[in-house]
Amino acid sequence: MPPPLMLDTTTLRRIAAVLCAGTLSLPAQSEIQDAPSSLDEIRRQGAQKSRYLAPEAGTPEPDAASGPDLEGFARDIEPILRRSCYECHGPDEDEGGVRLDEMDPDFFAGEDVDWWLDVLAVLTNGEMPPVDGPKLADEDRARVIDWLSLETQRASTNRRASRAHSSFRRLTRYEYDYALQDLLGVSYDFAADLPPDPASEDGFRNSSETLHIAGSQLRTYLDAGRRALELATVTGDRPTPLQWSVSMRDLAAREWDGQDQQLDKVRKQHEGDPAKAQEEVDKLLARFRNPPGGTWFEDAASGRKARQSWGYNGASYARKPSEELVDLPAPSDHVAVVTPNSSLIVELGDRVPERGPLRVRFRASRADGDGRAPRVRLMFGWQASNDSRSLIEVSEEDVVVDALPDAPAVYTFEVPISRIYPRNLVRGVHKLGDLPSPSEYIRLAHAGGTSSPVRIDHVEITAPAYDTWPPASHTRIFPDRKPNEGEQKYARRVLEGFLPRAWRRSVTKQEITQKLALFRRVRAECESLQEALVEVLATTLASPNFLYVTASDRKEGQAEGAAPLTDAELATRLAVFLWCSVPDDELLALAAEERLHEPEVLAAQVARMRADPRARRFAHHFVHQWLNLELLEFLQVDRKLYRNFDAKLKAAMLAEPVAFFDELLRADRSVLDVVHADFAVVNERLATHYGFEGVEGDDFRVVPVPANAPRGGLLTQAGILAMNSNGEDSHPIKRAVWLMERILNDPPPPPPPAVPEIDLADPEIAKMTLKQRLEDHRNHAACMSCHSKIDPWGFAFENFDAVGAWRSEVRGQPVDASGTLFNGQTLDGVDGLKRFLLGDRQDQFVRGMVEKLATFALGRPLVFEDRAALDRITAEVRRNGDGLATIVTTLVQSDLFRSR
Amino acid sequence: MQRNVGATEYASIDRRRFLRGSAAALALPCLPSLGRVPVSPAAGSGIKRFVCVYFPDGVPMPLREDPAFQEWSWFPHGSGRDFQLTKVLDVLEPLRSDMTIVSGMSHPAVRAVHGHSNADQFLTGADTGAVGQYRNSISLDQLFAAHLGEATRYSSLVMSTDGGTGTPRGAHTVSFDRKGRAIPAEHRPRQIFESLFVHRDGDAARRAAVSGSALDDLLADARSLRSSLSEHDREAFEEYLDAVRETEQKMERAKRWQRIPLPKVDGHGLDLEVGMDAPRAYFQTMLDLVHLAFRTDSTRVATYQVGRENGVGHSDHLAKAVGFPLAHQLSHDTKNPGGWKNFGIYCRFLAEEVGRFAQKLKDTPEPGGDGSMLDHTLILFGSASSAFHLSRNYPLVLLGGKSMGFRHGQYLNFIGDDAFGGSWNGGTEPWQREFDKDDVPLAKLYVTMLQKLGVETDPFAGVTGGIDGL
Repeated sequence: MPPPLMLDTTTLRRIAAVLCAGTLSLPAQSEIQDAPSSLDEIRRQGAQKSRYLAPEAGTPEPDAASGPDLEGFARDIEPILRRSCYECHGPDEDEGGVRLDEMDPDFFAGEDVDWWLDVLAVLTNGEMPPVDGPKLADEDRARVIDWLSLETQRASTNRRASRAHSSFRRLTRYEYDYALQDLLGVSYDFAADLPPDPASEDGFRNSSETLHIAGSQLRTYLDAGRRALELATVTGDRPTPLQWSVSMRDLAAREWDGQDQQLDKVRKQHEGDPAKAQEEVDKLLARFRNPPGGTWFEDAASGRKARQSWGYNGASYARKPSEELVDLPAPSDHVAVVTPNSSLIVELGDRVPERGPLRVRFRASRADGDGRAPRVRLMFGWQASNDSRSLIEVSEEDVVVDALPDAPAVYTFEVPISRIYPRNLVRGVHKLGDLPSPSEYIRLAHAGGTSSPVRIDHVEITAPAYDTWPPASHTRIFPDRKPNEGEQKYARRVLEGFLPRAWRRSVTKQEITQKLALFRRVRAECESLQEALVEVLATTLASPNFLYVTASDRKEGQAEGAAPLTDAELATRLAVFLWCSVPDDELLALAAEERLHEPEVLAAQVARMRADPRARRFAHHFVHQWLNLELLEFLQVDRKLYRNFDAKLKAAMLAEPVAFFDELLRADRSVLDVVHADFAVVNERLATHYGFEGVEGDDFRVVPVPANAPRGGLLTQAGILAMNSNGEDSHPIKRAVWLMERILNDPPPPPPPAVPEIDLADPEIAKMTLKQRLEDHRNHAACMSCHSKIDPWGFAFENFDAVGAWRSEVRGQPVDASGTLFNGQTLDGVDGLKRFLLGDRQDQFVRGMVEKLATFALGRPLVFEDRAALDRITAEVRRNGDGLATIVTTLVQSDLFRSR
Repeated sequence: MQRNVGATEYASIDRRRFLRGSAAALALPCLPSLGRVPVSPAAGSGIKRFVCVYFPDGVPMPLREDPAFQEWSWFPHGSGRDFQLTKVLDVLEPLRSDMTIVSGMSHPAVRAVHGHSNADQFLTGADTGAVGQYRNSISLDQLFAAHLGEATRYSSLVMSTDGGTGTPRGAHTVSFDRKGRAIPAEHRPRQIFESLFVHRDGDAARRAAVSGSALDDLLADARSLRSSLSEHDREAFEEYLDAVRETEQKMERAKRWQRIPLPKVDGHGLDLEVGMDAPRAYFQTMLDLVHLAFRTDSTRVATYQVGRENGVGHSDHLAKAVGFPLAHQLSHDTKNPGGWKNFGIYCRFLAEEVGRFAQKLKDTPEPGGDGSMLDHTLILFGSASSAFHLSRNYPLVLLGGKSMGFRHGQYLNFIGDDAFGGSWNGGTEPWQREFDKDDVPLAKLYVTMLQKLGVETDPFAGVTGGIDGL
């Protein structure tokens, strides 16, 4: 960034006039007529209109010191407003409640800045004056926009230096969970008992404005912290593992017995008629050779098959564990065949321990040699009685069973037992065999997605299966105690190791002394040293030093807004932003050396953090909050109307925007790809939905969008379209409002809290399509002004139904996906909408993206004072190609991110 | 009015008797009806309970000339003892002599605020405003809970379908503490059950001693951090300090309750994992938990916010219980053919479940006392808007509490014949209109309720004097 230039106001205004010139061409009807053929071409041309990219656009620091330019306003601006605006927004009329003549043009201290920003927006977007209103000459428009922009910049810079705007807040629910997991190295849902966090108006859940702490929460923090430490640490000797070694021969025996009984029964029935008996026996035996479907046992020698049976009653299927660990036996000729979407159940009784790793090994192969390899996931469940049961997936990733039929291989799952919730309630209360049953089971479940079944001949379950003792999570907190090391001394060593990591900064002697005093008090109540230390450490995890981020301590005499973060605070802000968690040792070390703020060091750390798997949390949480994907989670689709909609499609819809964002971030692709891209990130289920060919499996991958497919970018993703529908039909208004809020960052004026009332009792109206109804409704003057700003954005998506599938007809009429915005701009279908955004609204969109990311990164709502900084970031991002990773890096390096 | 009995002493005697009497019954939380128990209002265990069930989005208010008026108006036709329930509330007919329906009341401060912002003040009567600065005050239930002191192990049970606190003017809870801060509501049946009946710590005495030291230490941490904060942040941080203090108080309470064992209740027969895929069962389970908490005398105060205002959220799916996709939408679609009926069917479902809960209390004899549990429990069932987002003429039902002296079996029709109703026609919304006549301040009713609950409070939310005839 160039050093700040001191320029006089007139020069600045001249520069700003040039900057703004690009936006002035009144939206682009002329261009639509000789529309270039490709969206790529439009995107290139659109970039030329950017004021951020204009060749003259150095972004000099505006001169904020000279105060509001009231003289310039009276001389140059007010006469223009008087001519072109006061007719409707002046002494005689206050259309929409807006009176320009009464607004205070002082941006530095006045209270009407928000109103002026609206004026700036409608002038820039060519929405005012209305088509049939007074004229506003291009050069006058330029002069007003120019003055407003510059005044905004100057005042924003000025206010930033003098006002408080705080990012001081507690960790969110999900950040708290990740923080404990990362800090302690254990996997568990630590936030389960915390109340849900509210979302701010723009959808963010990490906002300092909305994150409060209630009285009952503190106790939950204390309990969760203790629970976390208890899970991370161990006491005593290595526990004896239990092992269930289960061959399919053993498991099948019961089914063979059942078949034998059936045979006996038939023989007995026809005792007097050997021929008949043989005939019936042969019939049964033939039936026993047919594949019964689901999961069955197969005896390779005899060809006999029997479906696996199971019942919870009396725990009669429970297998007994052994304390002796045995090797896997040689492969046998009995296998279980698990067909797609069915599972093999192994009941374990009531002796699955409370904690430690649960290891499940199974020897398996795919049943068919060709096609896609099947996948298996681990489920854990129990059924105590008729109405009391649970079955949850506990493996984080599926195992791909790629072994060929003649060469089975051993596959392994390992999950922390502590992660399994809920466990059987009556375990330890009722005896095994009694009702309600205290027994638990695992299932090896075929994940579907291929026709090949899985063949399994042996399953071995071991728990707790510790590889080392004590486990690493323990020694990280409790190093070995040295011979003759006194309790106090050891406690100090533990605290000195733990506290800087938990509090993400160096700790003072006094703080250690305070904790040691706590240790002494607590020690008297505890039986062991370790127990007392766990209590002390749990307290440090409920301390505001752990729970709150970015303390705003400032040095005397320093203006708050400008105060730079310390390196330690910077480390936390970075980690919370990109990992939704606390900094790791490397970040903390750099912060301790006070090197983290150095631009190269910071850049290298951002690159490292982006490549870390923890960065997926950023993609997940940012995308969910930014796009409000909760709407999709809550979506109920009418299955009678959309028969092909299923849970798998919904899950894929939810995953697609995150996968797409991940790809932009990974490859630093331009954020304009959000508007349109020539690639998509899909899995098989979505590809089928979109009509793409050649995508197999549940994994998401980058594929080119086929020619003529109406996809590419985020706006036409099925989930986005579906969640802004109502489950039965498209909903143009929801789609439009969502687009304006989330993508254009230009929320419509507070919507009437009501969905418009449309008189369905009127038979004429009942016949109309939804779009026609809305247009009819729009003809009412009262509704007109807002809806003409909103609806056309939604109409453009009319070719997509309530599950985001393409359609060319609706209610037997051809789809009409065009609409005309208030300012005369026509949006013709989704292609027309993309053309308009890429051609005329690039700056608005990129700037919006920067704002959304900054809001999330700072954890507070953006305010007027931030505008100048956001403009600088946007300009730099635009100059460097609009890449998503570029935004992240530029943002992190900015003053905005690096100060309080 | 209130007998001045030392709460602790009184409660402990009663509890022992209570526990002995109920232990066996508790193994079967879903009791079959025990039949009518004779009521003798003269005597009584003296136990008083309060529960508020709040629902969002108002109620059907078809115009008089609308064909749906007769059948699908939420409010009954008539007044006094001479009133007819419509199809919306006729499910409460069996409880007629145990209930009073009230119209024409609302809190004055936010009458001109959009109804979607007003769940926050339903139990508080505070001026929570429309935008900007937000301030609330203590809710009725918490005032009553404070009055009860330590009569029970837990001071109150705060529940909602959406959980947490929600946002200012978008509350997910109807309970607010003395400082007007939202008390987070629990929405998961299992967590509620476990917080009431499952012991987490083996050695409670040790736990209390350790926690005491820990809280002192946290207070020290907090004070030291506070001193480094800016004024703005300091104000925000105040709530952490309060949380420490509140936790201390709760711990003190728990300490005093240590010697009395938790009631033995196994969750069997309750579907604690139930969620929005079975909305009716979920609603029932939440109310069953209140019943269970009352029967075990774990607490005598409960609130349950059935849904947040303005839809979007778990609670919006409750409408699936009666075959509609989303609840909030029903309040908007009243202009469509069958719209009043559909909305009415949904409101009827809510009334039916609250009725079922009340009936269950009625079928349960008051432990150690006279009459039924319903006679000792005051249920307030209502919402902070009536016609489309209009924050006037709150729909209100009081159930139970006969032993506190409520005279039921009536419709206190303060609104008379000119209740505002009808569908919204797309113009000015009802809440934006001017009204000639004002409602009776709802806090008058609250004063009466509190007094009958034994809390000598007057005024409440700045309103003095109760109402007559209840």
